[in-house]
Amino acid sequence: MAEKKEKKPNLLRLNPLDFTKLTPVRKARIEAAPARELRPADTYVPNRIANALHPDVQYLKVTEIIEHDCDNKSYILGPDHAKGTDALAWFSAGQYLSLSMEIGESFATRPYSIASSPNDALKGEYRITVRRTAGGFVSGHILDTWKIGTPVTASQPLGEFTYEPLRDAKHIIGLAGGSGITPFRSLAYAVAEGIEDAQMTLLYGSRTKNDALFDEEFTALAEKCPAFRYVNVLSEETRDGCEHGFLTAELIRKYAPEGEYSVFVCGPSAMYRFLDEELPKLGLRRKFIRRELFGECRDPAKEEGYPGSKAASYQLTVRVSGKDTVMTCRADESLLAAMERAGVKAPSHCRSGECGWCRSKLVSGEVFVPKRMDGRREADFLYGFIHPCCTFPLSDIVLDVPPFHP
Amino acid sequence: MERQYDVIVVGAGNGGLAAAANTAKAGCSTLLLEKHNLPGGCATSFRRGRFEFEPSLHELCSVGTEDRPNVVYKVFDDLGAKIDWCYEHDLFRTIVKGQDGYDITLKSGVDAFCDSMEEAVPGCYASVRAFLDLKPKIDAAIDYIYASKGNPNPVVMLVKHTDFMRTAGHSVEEVMTALGMPQKAQDLINTYWGYLGVPTDELNAMHFLNMLYGYVSDGAAMAHHRSHELSSALVDVIEKHGGEIRYNSEVTEFLYREDGSCCGVVANGEKLYAKEVISNVIPHNVFNMSDPKVIPEENLKLANAREFGISVATVYLGLDCTAEELGMNDYTVFIKGDSYPRDQYNNRLEDGLYIVNCLNKVVPDSSPEGTCTLFFTMPLFGCDMPRDLRPQDYKKFKNDLAKRYIEDAEKTLGISIVPHIEEISIATPVTFARYLGTPEGTIYGYKLSGWDSLMARTAGEKEDYAIPGLSFCGGHYIRGDGYSCAYIMGEMIGKRVAKRLKGGV
Repeated sequence: MAEKKEKKPNLLRLNPLDFTKLTPVRKARIEAAPARELRPADTYVPNRIANALHPDVQYLKVTEIIEHDCDNKSYILGPDHAKGTDALAWFSAGQYLSLSMEIGESFATRPYSIASSPNDALKGEYRITVRRTAGGFVSGHILDTWKIGTPVTASQPLGEFTYEPLRDAKHIIGLAGGSGITPFRSLAYAVAEGIEDAQMTLLYGSRTKNDALFDEEFTALAEKCPAFRYVNVLSEETRDGCEHGFLTAELIRKYAPEGEYSVFVCGPSAMYRFLDEELPKLGLRRKFIRRELFGECRDPAKEEGYPGSKAASYQLTVRVSGKDTVMTCRADESLLAAMERAGVKAPSHCRSGECGWCRSKLVSGEVFVPKRMDGRREADFLYGFIHPCCTFPLSDIVLDVPPFHP
Repeated sequence: MERQYDVIVVGAGNGGLAAAANTAKAGCSTLLLEKHNLPGGCATSFRRGRFEFEPSLHELCSVGTEDRPNVVYKVFDDLGAKIDWCYEHDLFRTIVKGQDGYDITLKSGVDAFCDSMEEAVPGCYASVRAFLDLKPKIDAAIDYIYASKGNPNPVVMLVKHTDFMRTAGHSVEEVMTALGMPQKAQDLINTYWGYLGVPTDELNAMHFLNMLYGYVSDGAAMAHHRSHELSSALVDVIEKHGGEIRYNSEVTEFLYREDGSCCGVVANGEKLYAKEVISNVIPHNVFNMSDPKVIPEENLKLANAREFGISVATVYLGLDCTAEELGMNDYTVFIKGDSYPRDQYNNRLEDGLYIVNCLNKVVPDSSPEGTCTLFFTMPLFGCDMPRDLRPQDYKKFKNDLAKRYIEDAEKTLGISIVPHIEEISIATPVTFARYLGTPEGTIYGYKLSGWDSLMARTAGEKEDYAIPGLSFCGGHYIRGDGYSCAYIMGEMIGKRVAKRLKGGV
């Protein structure tokens, strides 16, 4: 009824012929534009910042070597201008570089935490510290062969073991063990230099005070900087001013501030296992416990759910851009380790299942992935993609791997 | 020795994937080159801790269901790609802050939508209905234009498709105002301007209506396992039909024959040849990787005439509480400092518009039990990034930005977010510049300016893409950005190229 009285909404006031103007108007706009060359994408502000923060590759060389003892050396790495790297990418304290290198017939990548202050990157310096590990293929190679001037191929800074102001408590309790101290050196400087607006209490577990890397440096920094506190925790030595024992919940509680704090953990796997028992006693919410990468799994048989292997080794066929290479993969080594041994260049960074850089298609075969390391995306389960760095063969395997770039 | 493919597709974004899947399915030997180690471009996912995040706003329009399939459902279904679609039935909730503000939730489904509009703005029903009723008229006109092979009879157009001409020849707001739609009702509906990146006083009415209708009629749809599921499903189709995909294979040069036609590309230092090349890469970058002699002057002028489309800043939060515990009851909330789209656009750096999504409201198991995710989107241009921002200050810049929006959402929604943040990741145009490689980190390709609208682009297509053997698809192409647009265009281009190769026209 009301409809009859009211005018029905209509478009009568719009001129339909305006439609015919669309093309001539556009043509005129195009005609009026210059036919000049287009600015390269790299010259725009967001692209410039992106490229500075995330270079595809950083060509570095060793500029200085600091020998802590025969099994621990720090290397200062600077830009290799001759190869086209003019500046080092900025990073967040706690990040790592993935170094790639050819060793004899093999090819390997390894993640090394940056141990220096982010500010040092502006001066053209990254520092990594390498500890000799029993049977450590790459660490031995570095310690025995790197000299001043040795070229080093590195990724951009990577990793999530960083302080995030909207997520983490303002007070960090750093739990370090052995060579796991390196990211904390960077974080300590970042705190001291005001790069991160946070406080840190570093509990550093070593066997003896002599084994504690950077001990004098940390002591001096703590004296100078109220936001940084440093505590030695010695398991095999009793010493004044140092704690004796392990990184227990009780010890953490002793040094924890009132109110909220975030625990950052980096150390050897034995320490992680120990803390798996200790940390729950603190009743912290999950968000307040951050762990650095677990590192490689070297013994799948010890992992929960391992079904056992019928054979000691299998045939692994690796397909890169349509070309196949056949090799042997032991049941107790990751697919990535087998590829590296065979000298096949395969992408990888974190070697802990997390970053997904090695993501590859499992064309055929049965595999085992330790549950604790399985960082795959949900859809990758549906379509048979795996992370070779933490995947072990249970049969012959055909794997399609993306091509590698340094 | 050199292998020649029928088709090389450059870039595995939504458009490139849909194009390659269609050429491969049509029996063309197809090589898809992607610079990243993952397919999808923006349609992917990333892991942080125990969360798997969706990188871009993950709601698609015009999907429909198995029983009532719409065009995007068909794109996947025709290819044999199985997607576990999830649906949102509220259209969105929108809050305008301040004294004259409001808090309104609109429903999807044409009738429910009109009813919820009438409830929000009494008296707007007839004009809203009339706006939606233009959609079948537009479809009829477009069918006619296609049937006439792009040369419609002007008299037929003027007599039979007058309302189409009025709609397609004017902006959203011109059409709504002509229909007598109250300003508040216009502003409410035009909340969606951000999805096409241009305010509704400039945005073409027909284009907007196409998208709006897609959401209103079918609701928003998304893949169960984040957008990586969509991309993975298309990859699977390509490989099943004998197509080849190479990741970590960035194209660095486009190759041309003597006659100026495109005949291949260089990737990883290797020359790869094809009868046809389809680029999911924006023309700006393609031209910069091509011999300048082969770029028609008009195409270069077009590129110079255009402005880059919008990008976004986004904040991804993994929270250690459920959506219910958080008090988040909606999948999509648009929060605005101003009610009018042009003001939101102009004030985008201050208090314009941002969107908060909680994927758990549509996909409850999209994060582990006892958790939920929030996803903030702020429209932002690449050129809005401070010119003097140093790389070492970028972390602080993005955290300050995120903090401002999170705190504003806490206040506006009356919920507590910060104490629950277990994982956080923040993206800006810098992030999109990094992953997409587009100038300024544009996501939306070229701005759908008044003069460069969908209709005008469609009419100019032949002249705009004049290099023989080289086709384009993606957010920069005719229909502009959006997953749905990119899939539809990718399919169209893939089918067109396949037809040409198989001896059609």
